[in-house]
Amino acid sequence: MLIREVMHPDPITIAPDVSLSKAYSLMNRENIRHLPVLESGKLVGIVTDRDLRLATSKLAEHPFDPQVEIREVMSHPVRTTHSNDPVEMATQIMRELKIGCLPVVDETVLVGIVTNADLLDAMLRLTGVHLPSGRLDIGMPDRPGELARLTKIIADRNINIHSILTYSEAGKRMRMVLRVNTMEIHALAKDICEAGFEILWPPHIICVK
Amino acid sequence: MRKVIYHPKYKEYDLGPQHPFSPVRVKMVLELLDSLGIPFNPVQPELISADRLKEIHEPDYVDIVEAVSNGEAAKDIGQYGLGTGDNPVVRGMAEGARWQCAGSLLGAQLLINGQAESVLQMGGGFHHARRGLAAGFCLYNDLALAVKTMTDHGWHVAYLDLDVHHGDGVQEIYYTSDKVMTISLHESGEYIFPGTGWLHELGQGMGRSLKLNLPLEPYTEGDSYLESLRKITEPALAWFRPNALVVQAGADAHFSDPLADIMLTTQNYQKIFSYIFSLVEKYCYNRVLITLGGGYSFFATARIWTLLYLMQQRYEIPAELPGSWLNRWRKIIGTDAGNNFHDREKAYRKIPRKGDIERVNQAMAIRLLDAVAGDWL
Repeated sequence: MLIREVMHPDPITIAPDVSLSKAYSLMNRENIRHLPVLESGKLVGIVTDRDLRLATSKLAEHPFDPQVEIREVMSHPVRTTHSNDPVEMATQIMRELKIGCLPVVDETVLVGIVTNADLLDAMLRLTGVHLPSGRLDIGMPDRPGELARLTKIIADRNINIHSILTYSEAGKRMRMVLRVNTMEIHALAKDICEAGFEILWPPHIICVK
Repeated sequence: MRKVIYHPKYKEYDLGPQHPFSPVRVKMVLELLDSLGIPFNPVQPELISADRLKEIHEPDYVDIVEAVSNGEAAKDIGQYGLGTGDNPVVRGMAEGARWQCAGSLLGAQLLINGQAESVLQMGGGFHHARRGLAAGFCLYNDLALAVKTMTDHGWHVAYLDLDVHHGDGVQEIYYTSDKVMTISLHESGEYIFPGTGWLHELGQGMGRSLKLNLPLEPYTEGDSYLESLRKITEPALAWFRPNALVVQAGADAHFSDPLADIMLTTQNYQKIFSYIFSLVEKYCYNRVLITLGGGYSFFATARIWTLLYLMQQRYEIPAELPGSWLNRWRKIIGTDAGNNFHDREKAYRKIPRKGDIERVNQAMAIRLLDAVAGDWL
């Protein structure tokens, strides 16, 4: 999954000489939290709703006047991503820097923006139920050929696999979560169990190993 | 005016000898009624055309289903959910499905015309069929068609889904409708098909807070099931006051069902059915259309649907099963559940998590009522 599949293209932007007050109204009107700041077509900074509220807060030691220009409070230089980067890379950068969005810049042109909400949507696409299906949670040794062995059992029953999610459990074993198009999940789980795989879900699958 | 609907052609919806959704189940019911000496005089529907299904389904989906059912080759049938283990392509299946849809449609018409108040359709219940997708043994959504016939007449309709699987097809088709309330009690979609039916699926737009889902913990037993059913259906129907209730009476929440893990007994089913009849009288203008549905433990399913027939037609429930029927089906199926009509006392092993399961289900019902409370004014 690449950034260009999840990003918002053509984001709303703002110029550096606009006042904080106007920037804040723009965010409210468009129902957004992040504004890339563009000067002569180039990305020169970014400002969030939180930046604006903190800068102007009465609780601040030296609150900014709502009429000062955005360039006074914007963050820069801006960390960006490329539309062909994988989503996991963007996720990692955002988590490391504890930031909520990344402008997408191809060569020198701003082409989109990706926010943490987009990454949650990506998570839903990876893990969600998009077609009627049952769910299998399987533990398997981390070695070549195991997944092929597993999917053959499913294919032999003429069952379609709608999604496979996999993650490693700290070197112990691989976890596979499959969404499979079958009403007979117990019978399938039993076949898989009998082939030597560990069935973690559904529970209580009894088989002869 | 209590009517029963059936046609021998229902049998033509047969997805193969190894397939769980077998016409044998209704055959067992009819033979059991016969052995008990109970009359069975159904009204017979007339076959409906494929075009009629286009009121509910996407036209290209209906065309594909009809084509492959006639033995014609078609491309990309997988995108319509066809040609899988659950929904294999079988010659004549479309017509068989249309016969059963015709029955559910007739049921709706009998209610509308005032020719019946209570209708038991001895087939149908294809609640997984989506607008453009075959799924979970279902091709054409007879329930949605019956509901549409009623809403076209100006009625508000409540749909109650007792099948152990979530009634996703009916919910999808009426997700934004303010004329149709759907209520589905099912085993939670943590691993069983179709994986939907979560509490947060409450409907959209005008249909908001009219789509109710109560996912139950695996190994939920009868008392907890009944408590959940009461907690939700009574306030829902008392508020919505539908002109009629449509019930999908799948029998796969029985403890012996091989496809799921809810632990109802036939005694529980008797209580559930009698509770539903009382709701119909109180809140639904005394109009109800009941269809069959899932149910894959043959002996249990045959007894549950016979029980439903006997209750709807107001016959006594016999204590024992006729020996001739038992012997015949024991030979064919191999297993059975004793000589009595009802399940044995302590029919299954004690459920170790009983207390936890009950608490989770109770909390779920409260959360559901809290979620809709703001809209149920």
